[in-house]
Amino acid sequence: MKKLRLIHLPVMIWLILFLIIPILIVIGISFLQRDELGNLVYSFSLESYATFFDPLYLGIYMDTIWLSVVTTIICLLLSYPLAYYIANASPKIQTWGIILVTVPFWINFLIRTYAWVLLLRTQGTVNNLLIALGWIHEPIQMLYTKGAVLLGMVYTFVPFMVLPIYVAIEQMDRRLLDAASDLGATKWRAFLHITLPQTKSGIMTGCVLVYVSTTGMFVVTDILGGAKSAMLSNIIQSQFLGSRNWPFGAALSIIFVVTSLVLIFLFNRAMQSRYLAAREGK
Amino acid sequence: MKRKGLTGLLFMVVFALLVLSGCSSRPTLNIYSWADNFDEQVLKDFENKYNVKINYDVYANNEDLLAKIKAGGSGYDLIQPSDYMVETMIKQNLLEPLDKNNIPNFANIADTFKNPSYDPGNKFSIAYTSGVTGIAYNKKYVKDKIDSWDDLWNPSYKGKVLLLDDNREVIGMALKKLGYSNSSTDEGQINQAVGELKKLLPSVLAFDTDNIKQKMIQEEGWIGTVWSGDAAYIAAENPDIEYVVPKEGATIFSDNYAIPKGAANKELAEKFINYMLDPKVSAKNYESIGYSDPNTKAMEFHSEKYRNNHMINLTQDELSRTEWLSDVGNTLQLYDRLWTELKSGRE
Repeated sequence: MKKLRLIHLPVMIWLILFLIIPILIVIGISFLQRDELGNLVYSFSLESYATFFDPLYLGIYMDTIWLSVVTTIICLLLSYPLAYYIANASPKIQTWGIILVTVPFWINFLIRTYAWVLLLRTQGTVNNLLIALGWIHEPIQMLYTKGAVLLGMVYTFVPFMVLPIYVAIEQMDRRLLDAASDLGATKWRAFLHITLPQTKSGIMTGCVLVYVSTTGMFVVTDILGGAKSAMLSNIIQSQFLGSRNWPFGAALSIIFVVTSLVLIFLFNRAMQSRYLAAREGK
Repeated sequence: MKRKGLTGLLFMVVFALLVLSGCSSRPTLNIYSWADNFDEQVLKDFENKYNVKINYDVYANNEDLLAKIKAGGSGYDLIQPSDYMVETMIKQNLLEPLDKNNIPNFANIADTFKNPSYDPGNKFSIAYTSGVTGIAYNKKYVKDKIDSWDDLWNPSYKGKVLLLDDNREVIGMALKKLGYSNSSTDEGQINQAVGELKKLLPSVLAFDTDNIKQKMIQEEGWIGTVWSGDAAYIAAENPDIEYVVPKEGATIFSDNYAIPKGAANKELAEKFINYMLDPKVSAKNYESIGYSDPNTKAMEFHSEKYRNNHMINLTQDELSRTEWLSDVGNTLQLYDRLWTELKSGRE
């Protein structure tokens, strides 16, 4: 452990004031009760946690995890080849590739999501184009479907996956690839045994970033999904606002954070142990 | 050493706050309201007439407003809660009683909006604008006669029905359709209403409150639950839109003037309310924002176009079929749970 220095003080104060204390407050609220008007009642209760185990909320949580896992996998499958291509291209293409991946961040996220509405709606660009081409005669209902939600999620979070993987591929030791090819390994074999294990950290970072961001997202389900499917984050939001049930909202937030941490921990462990096994085996 | 640095930092923060908050010597009226809720010129005229400054902040929903006012020290002098939120705020002792001596123009308010159920005797609030949640539909696609909530369940509109994203509004609508009160606290009635909504769900294109206007204008949805003021806005953009207050009755709502407890400039806020209720000012303001004007004396100053708009000026007959939403107390948790069930398609 390094000793704490004065220079760490602002960060420590920042973390304590704006992370630790708020989390403690949320934990505290989750064990309270509410009165008829939604005011907090200061008596200890586990009711909010018990409510979560209602099949209704458990089911919504499972749906949320499922959507997040699918989004993460699709992002990974799309991003790895792209990051691989960019990292192995000429410096000029690398620069442009990274700029193009990050350009969407320059535009407000809400505006980008509404842009999808303009594209996908029944009188939108895509439908008009397909009708003009004569491929369809009636507009297809693309917006306000589960597919639109998945598309919006993947679109939003692909950059979160590309960037860490790009960094990992960029930094790997390429002499190993030369060695592998000298020793007669095919390109595919070299990729499986050298590139993939060496870029594991990038994959892990990307997956965690995408997974956590997706589980916390409620704007995409509202705008592109027509607010028809409830995600856990939508429920949390409504507990703090419309339903005025802060203890339940707080309990859901805590459960959400804890289970996400456990899942991420298990995921890391699985990746690490496979990595170690692979190293020891060869 | 450490402590000194921290004190210095605190001093700077406090100093900056003092400098930033003390910019103007004119009295400031701090308004906290919905976005675009006033005509800008009308506000400027008030500033010039009384040599004051208006500071206008906005919120997106009543719950944000409640959270901010409840936290205290918000510094606002005038807020615009909706009807049920006035009731909630009165119960929580968050509003100042209005001094009607400072608001003689209160007499101009239409009788329909005097003495509302959420604030008997208008002790704490005065109506600013109001509307009714009815059915808006597009005549291009909807050829049948629409006069009942049942029409939303018509299978010909499958996948084209829009509903507000609000549990009280939508469950209240289903309760009305069944002939009950929109604020029922009877578990059996509420369950029955949500049962009806579950049958409607396959027809629903989307739940939306903020952007339902765009969805109707762009003809994504053909029929849906829409506020009368929004319907007027939609119809101005898309002439195929019609609006009715269904025969079973509907929910009426209002936004109001109210003054939060402990407001620094209470008298100025009352002066502002009185100014806004002046017939000429009123006409100018509502003409610009396009909502309905509760000011009876203002009608003669309104344009013909405004007066003839039946979505802005609902008839007595239509208004007589309406009911305010009232606070349902702990039953709100049941509404919330059933709403979650409905939207997630689970039992």
